[in-house]
Amino acid sequence: MANVAITRKIPVTGAAPKLSVFSEWADRRFKWLLVAPAVVLILALSIYPLIFSLVVSFINYDFQIPGHAYVGWKNFRQVVFDPVARSSIVLTAFFAAANVIIEFLLGLVLALAMVKHFRGRGVVMSILIVPLFISPVIVGQAWALLLQRPFGPTNYILSQLLGTDVKISWLTESPWLYFAIITADVWQWTPFMFVILLAGLTAIPQNLYEAAELDGVGAWRSFWAITVPHLGPMMLLAVTLRLLDTIKLFDTIFIMTGGGPGTKTYTASYYLYTLGFTQFHLSNATAGSWIFLILTALVVTVLVRRLLKVEQS
Amino acid sequence: MTATVQPARKRLRRRPAFGRFVFLGFYLLFVLAPLYWVLITSIKPSNDYLAVPPVWFPSEPTFIHYTVSLFAYRGLKGLTNSLIISLSATVLSALLGTFMAYSLARFNTGGKHLSFWVLSQRFLPPVAIILPVFLIYRNAGLHDTHVGLIIAYTVFTLPVSVWMMYAYFRQLPRSMEDAALVDGCTRWQAFWRVAMPLAAPGIVAAAVFAFIACWTEFFFALVLTSRDAFTLPTVFRAFIGFQGALYGEASALAIVSLAPSIALGILVQRHLVRGLTMGAVRG
Repeated sequence: MANVAITRKIPVTGAAPKLSVFSEWADRRFKWLLVAPAVVLILALSIYPLIFSLVVSFINYDFQIPGHAYVGWKNFRQVVFDPVARSSIVLTAFFAAANVIIEFLLGLVLALAMVKHFRGRGVVMSILIVPLFISPVIVGQAWALLLQRPFGPTNYILSQLLGTDVKISWLTESPWLYFAIITADVWQWTPFMFVILLAGLTAIPQNLYEAAELDGVGAWRSFWAITVPHLGPMMLLAVTLRLLDTIKLFDTIFIMTGGGPGTKTYTASYYLYTLGFTQFHLSNATAGSWIFLILTALVVTVLVRRLLKVEQS
Repeated sequence: MTATVQPARKRLRRRPAFGRFVFLGFYLLFVLAPLYWVLITSIKPSNDYLAVPPVWFPSEPTFIHYTVSLFAYRGLKGLTNSLIISLSATVLSALLGTFMAYSLARFNTGGKHLSFWVLSQRFLPPVAIILPVFLIYRNAGLHDTHVGLIIAYTVFTLPVSVWMMYAYFRQLPRSMEDAALVDGCTRWQAFWRVAMPLAAPGIVAAAVFAFIACWTEFFFALVLTSRDAFTLPTVFRAFIGFQGALYGEASALAIVSLAPSIALGILVQRHLVRGLTMGAVRG
């Protein structure tokens, strides 16, 4: 208490201190006054836009067609029957699955490799987490520089290793451009999995492993019998959080391929962005974003429910 | 233990250790390769760009790309805008987030619904709200203004700030505040003069994470700004496709942009788990 300055002195009589009318009102409403600014801001910039976009998605709001007439489900239908929209959803799911699986496995192996102390562990730790603090745009840019023909050294290194002349256009040639995009994402977000899983691993009591070792249980079996069950909730948390972010994939696509060639690397976010901001079909784009939002909400609900159930048990 | 068991176990232990370091070595190479290439490209004379074999270290390093990207490609303007916007949004987000978190943690305001409603905002895909926000901003005159992006970034970072501080306050004992109340403080004074100073380390960590999030953000800045309030990440649009081969310029600007956020991130790495999981894991 000694270092905390409290200005209001207790009156000698011990009676309750007198407050002004305002202070008393503020004191009674205190808990609501504290949440008010944040809640108002979120309402203004997230809930109001959502409602607004619901309205826009049922009317004509297109910079190329004048007037704002009610059009019913037309905007939704146009998006649902757009083949590009469908392929963008499929690609989003594919990227999400590929990214999350690779990042999870790599992150787990990294965490297992880093859980025991060794000399220089602190430095290695600091290097491993660096990608988390870099803008995805720059990550995309860096990988583009590394892979790009003719500037990047990747093809040269591959040629030297394989002994044949490798001439891959990593950012325009299918399937290589998918590798490029996944690599950039894996590079940036594997540390995310790693950090969470490492925290989970460190929390497992060491004496469990010691007991297993005394009983002559091998490393592989103690991994499945001790590590996996104890790490379960953390694994679920890491995968859930990562999955919810990776379905928003946009920045690296924008910088590395621009959605191209053609519409080959359109993710859901990229598709909706071009629909709204380069073609200016605003009402189609809002209708599409509502569909995307509902799909996302389904994933969120299922995953977060699972997560809460695990945490409670 | 008999003597025959000992060497067997030793062998078992050493093999994984060796594999561990090989794996870590390769992974470190994977992490450092793009960073090294960007750094080298940023000081490489343009004549060396297309050399075969590639120039791994330029014999005559140059800083021309830094000046060109900062002055000719308006990198400096993006840098100052990024600083102004990120710092303002960080202060707002940390302050309002701490307010709300304190109320949630101490008074259970709004029950579980309010706290989970805030959390759910974190998972809202930006693309779902960006169009209406764009339209609203255009009508309100907030498009391409610092204030507009500051508000957007405050809202965008609030859920994480609130939840990080929510977890922090719940592990702080409330006896100090109770004592302050008994001593005649108002609730505001108990919060502002007692709880806030105690929570300062947590607030700083939350603020740093908010700053990094704003500093690296691209999507909102891309849509909500154009010629005036553009931030550093949006400047990279100029280098897409590299017409005229602006490899050096792109790399120089990348270095300028990533250096401060990496430095800050490593500074708060103790709090990283809490930041990434929004306080769910203490680490």
